[in-house]
Amino acid sequence: MKKLVKEITILLGIAVGLSLAVNFFSPVGIALVGRWDTSEGVITANAKNDVVMDELEIDDAKTARQIYDSGAALFVDARSRENYEDGHIPGAVSLPVGQFDEQIDSFLSKHAPEQPIVTYCSGRSCEDSHNLAQILLESGFVNVRVFIDGLPGWEAEGYPVE
Amino acid sequence: MNKFLQSIAANSWVELAARWILGLTFIYASFHKILSPADFAKIIYGYDLFPAALINLMAITIPFVELTTGLALVLGIYPRSAALIINAMLLGFIVALSINLVRGHEFDCGCFSAAQGGYTPSAWVLLGRDFLLLAVGLQIFFYYTSMKGRLAAISQDTAAQSQQK
Repeated sequence: MKKLVKEITILLGIAVGLSLAVNFFSPVGIALVGRWDTSEGVITANAKNDVVMDELEIDDAKTARQIYDSGAALFVDARSRENYEDGHIPGAVSLPVGQFDEQIDSFLSKHAPEQPIVTYCSGRSCEDSHNLAQILLESGFVNVRVFIDGLPGWEAEGYPVE
Repeated sequence: MNKFLQSIAANSWVELAARWILGLTFIYASFHKILSPADFAKIIYGYDLFPAALINLMAITIPFVELTTGLALVLGIYPRSAALIINAMLLGFIVALSINLVRGHEFDCGCFSAAQGGYTPSAWVLLGRDFLLLAVGLQIFFYYTSMKGRLAAISQDTAAQSQQK
């Protein structure tokens, strides 16, 4: 029994020590505490290579609606094609973040880099809209924002869905 | 039946196979988690069972516990203790999966399945797999426990023999 406790302590000690060291030096390491409360924004592990960029965020549906009504921005749905077909913000175009490479060429041919874009997905427990925003910025688009409450936040305000 | 189970627990070839199967499974399982701890943290969050303050620490340490114990099993270092830790983890997975099965909890966005290439095995398949692995882990644990028993019996025998002399 005593031997068992000693061995388990050694094994777990090696594992925990190694894990903290690797996480500290790894370029994909995460903070010791993440942000997992959706009232504070999009959930994130606060990784060193995090895609969640607070400065791009539109964090209430009313602001998103104002931008939508002004007609200046193109709304882009980052979710899968099936989710898009089940219901999306009227006029939004589908660009699933998982199929970005196949679809970006036709997207680029239709929209100029100056086109203001608002991405969204399924709300604050989902970072696909941030992923999409980041790769759109990398593809040359200069005005990209993220509506973090996504379709659920839009629907909750009673705004139209098609 | 009991005899049959005992013979399995005492079989050194079964024990070797069990250590390699379980060890390699856990080493393999640790890799993608170590390579993307942020994704793993989101999966833990998706279970909706753990306090926010613990999620990142779990995402950092669990993969390395899997890797360390998996390596220990393959190399035969502290096999009984490594098997015990792995069995405890498997029990934890089983409890966590069962709770979510019972309350019908589903993850609310496609973000988690995207990390797994769009394929998410059902919770029942995962549960079945965990129980199979647990059986393998128990074989290793009882192999060493019963071996200890046999060694003790042998030393008692020799002690008794030397007393007779």
